[in-house]
Amino acid sequence: MSIFEYNGSALVAMVGKNCFAIASDRRLGVQLQTIATDFQRISKIHDKLFIGLSGLATDSQTLYQRLVFRHKLYQLREECDMKPETFASLVSSMQYEKRFGPYFCQPVIAGLGDDDKPFICTMDAIGAKELAKDFVVAGTASESLYGACESMFKPDMEAEELFETISQALLSSVDRDCLSGWGGHVYVVTPTEVKERILKGRMD
Amino acid sequence: MLDTTALESFPSLISHGINVAGEISAPPSFQLPNSNDFDGFVKETIQMVKPAKGTTTLAFIFKEGVMVAADSRASMGGYISSQSVKKIIEINPYMLGTMAGGAADCQFWHRNLGIKCRLHELANKRRISVTGASKLLANILYSYRGMGLSVGTMIAGWDETGPGLYYVDSEGGRLKGNRFSVGSGSPYAYGVLDSGYKYDMSVEEASELARRAIYHATFRDGASGGVASVYYVGPTGWKKLSGDDVGELHYHYNPVTPSTVEQEMVEAAGP
Repeated sequence: MSIFEYNGSALVAMVGKNCFAIASDRRLGVQLQTIATDFQRISKIHDKLFIGLSGLATDSQTLYQRLVFRHKLYQLREECDMKPETFASLVSSMQYEKRFGPYFCQPVIAGLGDDDKPFICTMDAIGAKELAKDFVVAGTASESLYGACESMFKPDMEAEELFETISQALLSSVDRDCLSGWGGHVYVVTPTEVKERILKGRMD
Repeated sequence: MLDTTALESFPSLISHGINVAGEISAPPSFQLPNSNDFDGFVKETIQMVKPAKGTTTLAFIFKEGVMVAADSRASMGGYISSQSVKKIIEINPYMLGTMAGGAADCQFWHRNLGIKCRLHELANKRRISVTGASKLLANILYSYRGMGLSVGTMIAGWDETGPGLYYVDSEGGRLKGNRFSVGSGSPYAYGVLDSGYKYDMSVEEASELARRAIYHATFRDGASGGVASVYYVGPTGWKKLSGDDVGELHYHYNPVTPSTVEQEMVEAAGP
């Protein structure tokens, strides 16, 4: 098994009508053994910007800590929150700095930009950005997630429908992956509120 | 000498020695491929066919008989190829075999063993013992040792001497015992099984122990999951006791209690 499959992860982000949703699984494992079933993969940068980091757990924790540091400095200098597009460029350049000894992470970034327009993107381990208008996926279950999202996604969904869709896509995909699952964690973000929900999934 | 009775797909239609003078029938063989590096080719083939032993199976003897249980997941690396594989194979009405390793290997050789057991019954007018059946299988697997078969099975049954349980594997090993668990989830199953085991259990207690052991293995092991099947082998033969979906078993053992709003606010203000 490759280094990206050492801990196991599943991440997906979807765009709705003036809102977005980002979801992850909750398993932390060491190859086939499950260590924890409440691992946080998605973190808040500010109220309208979330980042999920899949891949090697130690690298995702370290990368997250460095990003928080850089964002806090930005906030002090610029006296405002970073836009999602800017933040994505920051992540991409930080990853490319380590081109010949990379962080083994694939980030999924989701946020509300100017005029609360939803923005999602994902990157490979060395910072190649992939912007999408509908959905982005990452992790060991990514192939199943692509299939599930492709068939379940509709444009311009409201927050409640978006939550249902992303939850079904996540749960059905991780049920076909040995290394991810054991529950789900979904954030649905609209211009006025952030709703965090835990999904009840198969624990095998 | 390899046992090839099962590999010949059809008997020879030509009767030897009647009209053909002096011809000796050739022993069964198959064509070898043309290749520069035959040894390397054989090694690669064995690696290609070698499946992962991602599974949890267990069996134990207790006062009332033998309890056999298994999960039902088939995995190829990280991908789950099936959640509904039958891993407990019914060799005959009073003997069961468990599947771990290569599905094709286990299914084929268990069926072959069933045939041999029936032939023994017809030839000797009495049922074969579990000792005898496991020895038949072990000898066959030993003759194929090193050729890439992957079988980690337990033969459980009830014969004239009472309950019998043997572990047989494709390396040629055969062990008699009271408690076995085979597969990638076996360490987790052993933990639950060893701490809850008592010889004087009733059938209900034993089946609940077996089910719990499989459930705990599916929770911790990524390569085990699906349905926990439990079979009981008693004096009148085997009987399937339960087949519970492990996803539902989790919430049966750990019911979800909705927390009140006040509790949530306290947690949010914590460190």
